[in-house]
Amino acid sequence: MKNDNESTTASASIRTNEKSRRHFLKGFTTMLGGVAVGSLVTGNAISVAMAYVPSNEKILTDGKIFNKNQLVLLKQICSIVIPKTDTLGAAEVDTHGFIDNQLYHCHTKEDHNKVLALLTLIDSRAKQQGSNSFIKLTAKQQFQLLTELDLGEHSFDQIQRADFKLLKQYICFGYYTSEVGATQELRYDPVPGGFKGSIPYIKSAPTWATRGLFN
Amino acid sequence: MKEQVYINKSSEVYDAIVIGSGISGGWAAKEFCERGYKTLMIERGGVVEHRKDYSGENKPLWKQELRGKVENILVDQQHNIQKQCYAFGNATKKLFGNDRDLPYTTKPGTQFSWIRGNMLGGKSLLWHRQTYRLGEYDFNANKLDGHGNDWPIRTKDIEKWYSHVEIHAGISGSKENLPNLPDSEFLPPFEMMASEKAIKSKLAELYPERPLIMGRTAHLTKPSELHISQGRVQCQARNECHAGCSYGAYFSTQSSTLPAAAKTGNLHIAPNSVVHSLIYDEKTNRVKGVRVIDNDDLSEREYFAKVIFVCASTIGSTQILMNSTSKKFPNGIANSSGVLGHYLMDHNYNSVASGDIDGFENEYYSGRRPSGLMMPNFYYKPDPKRGFLRGYALGASAYREGWDSQQHQDGLGVEYKNKIKQAGKWRFGLYAQGEMLPRFENQMRLHPTLKDKWGIPQIEFDVRFSENEKLMMEDAAEQSIKMLKAAGLKNVSGHPTNGPPGLAIHELGTARMGRDPKTSILNGFNQSHDIPNLFVTDGASFCSSAVQNPSLTFMALTARAVDYAVKEFAAKRI
Repeated sequence: MKNDNESTTASASIRTNEKSRRHFLKGFTTMLGGVAVGSLVTGNAISVAMAYVPSNEKILTDGKIFNKNQLVLLKQICSIVIPKTDTLGAAEVDTHGFIDNQLYHCHTKEDHNKVLALLTLIDSRAKQQGSNSFIKLTAKQQFQLLTELDLGEHSFDQIQRADFKLLKQYICFGYYTSEVGATQELRYDPVPGGFKGSIPYIKSAPTWATRGLFN
Repeated sequence: MKEQVYINKSSEVYDAIVIGSGISGGWAAKEFCERGYKTLMIERGGVVEHRKDYSGENKPLWKQELRGKVENILVDQQHNIQKQCYAFGNATKKLFGNDRDLPYTTKPGTQFSWIRGNMLGGKSLLWHRQTYRLGEYDFNANKLDGHGNDWPIRTKDIEKWYSHVEIHAGISGSKENLPNLPDSEFLPPFEMMASEKAIKSKLAELYPERPLIMGRTAHLTKPSELHISQGRVQCQARNECHAGCSYGAYFSTQSSTLPAAAKTGNLHIAPNSVVHSLIYDEKTNRVKGVRVIDNDDLSEREYFAKVIFVCASTIGSTQILMNSTSKKFPNGIANSSGVLGHYLMDHNYNSVASGDIDGFENEYYSGRRPSGLMMPNFYYKPDPKRGFLRGYALGASAYREGWDSQQHQDGLGVEYKNKIKQAGKWRFGLYAQGEMLPRFENQMRLHPTLKDKWGIPQIEFDVRFSENEKLMMEDAAEQSIKMLKAAGLKNVSGHPTNGPPGLAIHELGTARMGRDPKTSILNGFNQSHDIPNLFVTDGASFCSSAVQNPSLTFMALTARAVDYAVKEFAAKRI
């Protein structure tokens, strides 16, 4: 049951995957004392399927669900929900582009429409504040508007609040499963080497990136 | 695997044919091959080579297509049933198969989720790896309350075979000396978390008869020399087992039984061979071979052997028997009793409960433990006051909240980002795995008109949980809530649920063992009462479901049946 797609993109990924690959091989070497390692990894599928490739480019074209302007707005929302701190934020790792792709492939039309309606709603509320779009508001106004939406306060109702929580989930999924989110913001250990039931937790340390995915 | 192991056409009369390559089929092949039998293993699906074909293995999420999810349209069109399994995802979708090619029906008003694993290795590549022996109370259960027929075996008949398979497979767990759950030959158990240990000792004070133990699982926590010689190494606690494990750290056909069988030089494998029916010789009252439809081009071929082991999974095995009709057996081969297809069981997972654990702020864990805890069935002794028959085990585990739980909270920006990256509160849950009574009405049958693409009649299921199972799950939810509260958990909630049978993926019964040929298909050695050289050694042979995960018992029954078959063969009774 070999997936033929996978070998074609493998070479491009070797460099970025080198760390986990070395880790993986090191695991084998330790366990087997070097014996038969070659045969173990021959043909092993440490390769990469056609994953979404994040882009750093300026948004110049329409996406699969969102048009160019909607993507610009979504990017701004990403940057407000999960901003750049000492690690990159959701916008910098192209979470908006990821959401466009992921929603297109894995979600229903109903989900698409919820996000589209939410984007329209956000812009229309910005217009009520005298701006011609959300991104033209000041940073403070933008944060204020999304906070009201997040809490379902002022002009926002609970259904709109729930839809925004859903969008936050898409943003979180996109960010914390990205390479930056998993390995820099959180802790990622592809091959833990065994399970320890008790290690110290230092306050405010990052959690395991795979929590809830592989536990 | 050497190329010449795989065959397509063959006129050879093998010593043994094993239909299926999953947990049971793998064991049958290994045991026959090691006894010098020329063995043909027949697999309906394609080949999955150990390591080489684990194409989803060790891929970080951001390198996975759709971050591990599956394309919408593909799910709708091809995986609407299979997606219900927790292990279904981008890396495993091919292993579960395409529902469009695997149609079945359910009687109106009933539901049954039939999860597949049609490839070399079968569901040994997709299982949850929990491994428990059945005990004396389990083998006695039917006899005591009169539901189902009496198991023709007791622990003394099978304990040696449990040991035999456990030593080879590698089972981690703790010795507990419990009356209701016999110990296995153990590798060290996985560790408990500090919060779990605290709950365990609190419950031990309050409910001394309900111990909470580490889950027993077919993982190499500390491989033996034997395991290392098999090319298997220690479990790395990735808990991505279903994507394939090149370490061979959990038991599968590929990691364990297949290499042992292949090493003997006696093994051949016919992949992509969908068994249509068995070939029966009325003159000798023996099965001679199998009729096979090619998985890909639908051409027909036959294979021949002196003894046939049907290990095609509970439903798969019985489907083959039902579709093997002759003048003598118009209602399915080996079915003179008429009980073939009846007494279908699964386990019942319809109770959940959970709560928050106070404290342990300075505690964390590392690695991803591929097992939870379990509380063995504490209702193993019948009690009419209970209001229902049999009992349930409770699965359990603690976790500390991460981004996946905390993302739902209010907030935005730096504060939100910094908050949800940190560990949140500890949580702990209990879920039930209940016994399902063997009931004649719960059955599978061949559909009178509908066929699949190989021309094999489709299965129609008629299975329901009965009132007994419903009452049991209500009790499980109530007891779980009570215990969690007693253990000091906060915000405890729990309730019975309403899932259909099938999703425990522990299908059992339909070709049951028994002492009486008039009421059972197989004798105490998994041998057909009617036809001496025909054996069924998978879950189809079970008389009751007990509460334990059944795979370890498939292994032990299979190894025992091969030993018996070889002796009968030598004595020329087969």
